Amino acid sequence: MKRFQIVALVLLVVAAIACCFLSVGILTKLQSGFLSLLSPLSRSGHVVQSSLGSLGKDLMTLDQLQSEYDRLLLENLQLRAENNGLRDLKEENDHLRTTLGYSERSSFRLIPAVVLGHDAEAWWNKIKINRGSKDGVAVDMPVITDRGLVGKTTAVSDDMTEVVLITDENCKVASKVEGTKEQGICAGVRAPAGELELSFLNKLADLQPGQKVYTAGVSGGIFPSGIALGTVKNFHARELDGEATLEPAADLGNLEEVFVVTGAK
Amino acid sequence: MKTGLLFILLLLLIPLVVVVQDLLPPLLPAQERILLLPMLFCFGAMALPLLPALLYALIVGIIQGLILLQVQSGQVELGLVGPIVFYFGWAIFLQMASDATRGIRWEIHAVASGMVTLSLLTGEFLILCAKRGSFPLDSIVLLRITIPAAAALLIAPLLYLLLRSLVSFQTETGLAKLKSPSLDV
Repeated sequence: MKRFQIVALVLLVVAAIACCFLSVGILTKLQSGFLSLLSPLSRSGHVVQSSLGSLGKDLMTLDQLQSEYDRLLLENLQLRAENNGLRDLKEENDHLRTTLGYSERSSFRLIPAVVLGHDAEAWWNKIKINRGSKDGVAVDMPVITDRGLVGKTTAVSDDMTEVVLITDENCKVASKVEGTKEQGICAGVRAPAGELELSFLNKLADLQPGQKVYTAGVSGGIFPSGIALGTVKNFHARELDGEATLEPAADLGNLEEVFVVTGAK
Repeated sequence: MKTGLLFILLLLLIPLVVVVQDLLPPLLPAQERILLLPMLFCFGAMALPLLPALLYALIVGIIQGLILLQVQSGQVELGLVGPIVFYFGWAIFLQMASDATRGIRWEIHAVASGMVTLSLLTGEFLILCAKRGSFPLDSIVLLRITIPAAAALLIAPLLYLLLRSLVSFQTETGLAKLKSPSLDV
């Protein structure tokens, strides 16, 4: 081995050792930089994937297109009617709250985002979305859909963010069960199969399949109260506590658009 | 010079491969994912000479570490140490395998891809078990380890052919390692 090669090998080993002792701050910055590097590629990949996915839809016959158009027209009319009804209800609700002297319950400030991809890792359940710090997204912000909680933001770059899903073992959510005083901690499992586990319940709790579970919104926590988490599938008592298996409210396997909760209005 | 070109090419492919593996749909029945990065690493570790191969292993290790990085309450659950040591170890082993077979061979690349994927997923699982204090070994966990490894074994020859065709653009003589007769498939 030549002297140059020996020097290069020593430098390489020193660099590797130095990398092993990087601080959390530097690692987070490196991760953010890496996400920024991936961002244009992920966006282009998502466009290609969407185009390929819509290829089948583009090949519909004229009859199919006509029936799809009719269905969408009808759905649009239904939604408009529902929307009008809801607007009336909101006004009535606000009026009643004001009358009763309650402070206006604030709704969330949301940033819409498109899901760019699902992480290919086996033991972590994460997605990437097309919003970042430029849009006001920061670490540890809740991510939801219209159906319920999705997860929380973990790594943020300028224009891309990683979101850890509620089915990940590391995403723990304080939860409460509808119609009961039961509260527990909801989390995913190591190899997520799409279900959630709600632990630390009273072992004598009388939970029934179909009961809804919401975020409890503990003080100092990330998740606000009242966001749908899932429904109870089954409940079993353990030695010290009770545990329920939940079906997530949001369809986590087919996420396309999500909302990042940046705060209250 | 030729080694430099191959190194740069393999380096540029890393972010592309990371994005593509994220876009690939999960396999049934336990939502297993196909990992392309270990296959690319195996090619680099076997096609490059020792020092560039180790440098490549360091870079892939850092990238893998950044992909896995999760900060929980200000603490890093899995840092860069594990991935860097893992890829360094495999780079040295694959260099020896490459030397023993007088150059990179598609069969060795396929087997190595499967083994690197298998050991990567097993290692991650065991480290998480040690860190989180539970050992939930069930059929889903086994499927999540074995199916991506089997997929790597099957897909690696395609990646090998693709990379080899890219490499052949570089020069008429090719790289010292890639020039060997054993490369012919």
